[in-house]
Amino acid sequence: MSKKIDERIPQSSGDGAYFKAYNGIQSPWNRIYSYQDALHYASRFESVLSAAATQALRIIVPDYKERAQMMCEEAIERLYMTGKYYGDDDGFGIHPFMCGQYAGALIGDKGDDALLMCGRCQDFGTYRAEKELDVCDWDICGSELCRTTTMSLQGQAKASAERRRKGPDIDYMMVEAKGCGDRHCRIIAESREKYPAPPHELWESFGPAVTDDMKKVTAEEDCVSESMMFREECNYRFANGTNNETDSSNQMINMSTGASLYILPAIAETVKRGYVTREHADHILKCVLEAAGKAMFGERYAIKACRDWLGVPDSIGEDGRIMGGLIEMLLQSLVCAYEVEAFNKDEVIYVIDRSGLEITATKDMPETHLWMWGGMVKTLVNAQWSLWEEDSPAGKMRIKIAKRIDKFM
Amino acid sequence: MYKNIFKYDDMKRSEHMAVRTAVGWYFWTHQILEIKGPDVTAFLDYMFPNDISSLAVGRDRYTTMLNEEGEIIDDVVVMRMEENRYWVSTLFATKTDDWWYFHQGDYDVEWGEITDEWEMYAVQGPKSRELVEGLAKESLADLKFFAHRDAKIDGIPCMINRGGFSGEKWGYEIYVHPEDCDALEALLKPSAEKLGGRQVTEFQVMAWTLPTEANFYYMRDLAHTNPFEAGLEKNIQWDKDFIGKEALLKIKEEGPRREFVGFEVPEADVYIRAKQYGGPGEPVYIDGEEEEVGRVSKMVYSYVKEVNNGYILAKKDTLHIGDRIKIHGYDAVVTEKKWL
Repeated sequence: MSKKIDERIPQSSGDGAYFKAYNGIQSPWNRIYSYQDALHYASRFESVLSAAATQALRIIVPDYKERAQMMCEEAIERLYMTGKYYGDDDGFGIHPFMCGQYAGALIGDKGDDALLMCGRCQDFGTYRAEKELDVCDWDICGSELCRTTTMSLQGQAKASAERRRKGPDIDYMMVEAKGCGDRHCRIIAESREKYPAPPHELWESFGPAVTDDMKKVTAEEDCVSESMMFREECNYRFANGTNNETDSSNQMINMSTGASLYILPAIAETVKRGYVTREHADHILKCVLEAAGKAMFGERYAIKACRDWLGVPDSIGEDGRIMGGLIEMLLQSLVCAYEVEAFNKDEVIYVIDRSGLEITATKDMPETHLWMWGGMVKTLVNAQWSLWEEDSPAGKMRIKIAKRIDKFM
Repeated sequence: MYKNIFKYDDMKRSEHMAVRTAVGWYFWTHQILEIKGPDVTAFLDYMFPNDISSLAVGRDRYTTMLNEEGEIIDDVVVMRMEENRYWVSTLFATKTDDWWYFHQGDYDVEWGEITDEWEMYAVQGPKSRELVEGLAKESLADLKFFAHRDAKIDGIPCMINRGGFSGEKWGYEIYVHPEDCDALEALLKPSAEKLGGRQVTEFQVMAWTLPTEANFYYMRDLAHTNPFEAGLEKNIQWDKDFIGKEALLKIKEEGPRREFVGFEVPEADVYIRAKQYGGPGEPVYIDGEEEEVGRVSKMVYSYVKEVNNGYILAKKDTLHIGDRIKIHGYDAVVTEKKWL
């Protein structure tokens, strides 16, 4: 195998395609996509990966209630601790006079927009808040994730409230969820002091809301498909009711995914609770992610679409460069640094900065990508081709795409 | 059917009306930047369009803060504590701190945030003077509006400032150290109840329904507007230099492109999106016409007038009092901006 780099690729290709210098991404064949498209691409890809990871979790803990309760317990505690030690009330527009847990809704509101989960706040007060989403890329991951994300609000709200004067505790519930097939996601947060209801377990944070008659449902024709930061009518700024304003530099696509923030930590929790060993959990994850990767290009039209999206010339046939180009698009979209060590018809080698893929500081996120890519290459190129990690320097993941025969593959 | 979140809410109603008819007290701590130094008055005069130099020690002044384009980036109350020491009450201390830092230049001033050292309680309503005088055991008759002085309430050291965000003629703000909050609340609660008042706990009442009835703005309303559009140009001191002056003079000469108008929606149970929750606000159309003439900045409920009320940021001179308009399909009417 040579280490030759084709004409297309000076070693510096990709420089300037990072967000720092150029607000877009660029394929090896100079197909350029906007920053906005890049965020949407990365968001949905990571959501697909998260959906696959959820299947692994479902295998490990088959019972829905047991699984959802465990996920919620793990998430609320972790997000509470995160909020406690890293909370930035001023950064979320939480004013000093805001007492109690309702102000936690401001954290979720801002995060939604940065994650492209566009919609609108319908109510925001000391005893009740309501947020309606029209879009959620995580809607394919499973309803247990919807339940769990609600607990992140609960945990953050609790942490924030402890830094301020005592006020009402708030019960955050996702009373509608796109992950359940609803038109919208709808969080309704209610004070039980003002709106009494029987206590419920964490996993039951789905309502019904006591104030169901107060909800405001947006009709289909009034729904939006973009975050405020990408909408002209909003002057391309997210703004909440306390005048906390941000622009598209505040994106969170490379900071928070379903897998990184909830699913992989939940799998780690299953190991901690003795459901499986770490090795067994990784084995299940690898199996599921490889299968999901293979499914992505099982149909010929998906391959054609991918080649078109990347701008692959007809002169390039079935080889690893197509898979490599696709990986580059994701890495650029996630602002993950990488170097091209080889890019030719025989082999493609990247040296990827692991920390760029360790989203939310989740250490096993690079492996989940590796396993999924390992499946994708089998159908995007063909079964002669493999993708594996080899000779990685410290802090890096060196991946190689080449033909390989393995009798135990 | 979209149930009105204000009209049928007895708690919000009683908290709001306590302020209008008797007295309401609430935890209302803002961020405070303390700024001092030999050049402090000149510096603040450059930061703010309203006059600071004429402010006497012990008095306060409301002012906007502008960027170079003349847009309002904050609205604050400046309190003169000593000849060369001021407090600036804001809800955006971090941004203001940055703004000052980048514009300090050669001004000999220093500042810091002292929010953690002071909590503030608002006491608002026609019986607020009676309540605060009863607690402080001294007459406040000579304390003018936007004036403050040190006092003691049952041995608790505090600063009493006459002012507020409710539109009430009589209203006070009591500043205490955080460790004295419990003791002060224990005194405020029974005193207010004795006068037919109560604690205001609802954010929407203290920040939205009370101020809107009185034509006060929350910073979300003012963002990306200029003082001429907001009707806040009256006290600008034109014979000094301040950030945004050049742009503002141009606006003054050409006239503002937009203006705030009041509106009411007679139907109680409606769905109208307003900027107070974030986002762009609902578009506004003159009845029978297709061109958008403005956006809803705020829509709340006037418990005094028993009607949905709020502000529209409209193209200048397109909407006039009494005009019939459509907002998200609902009939509305343009009104004055005051409901008291």
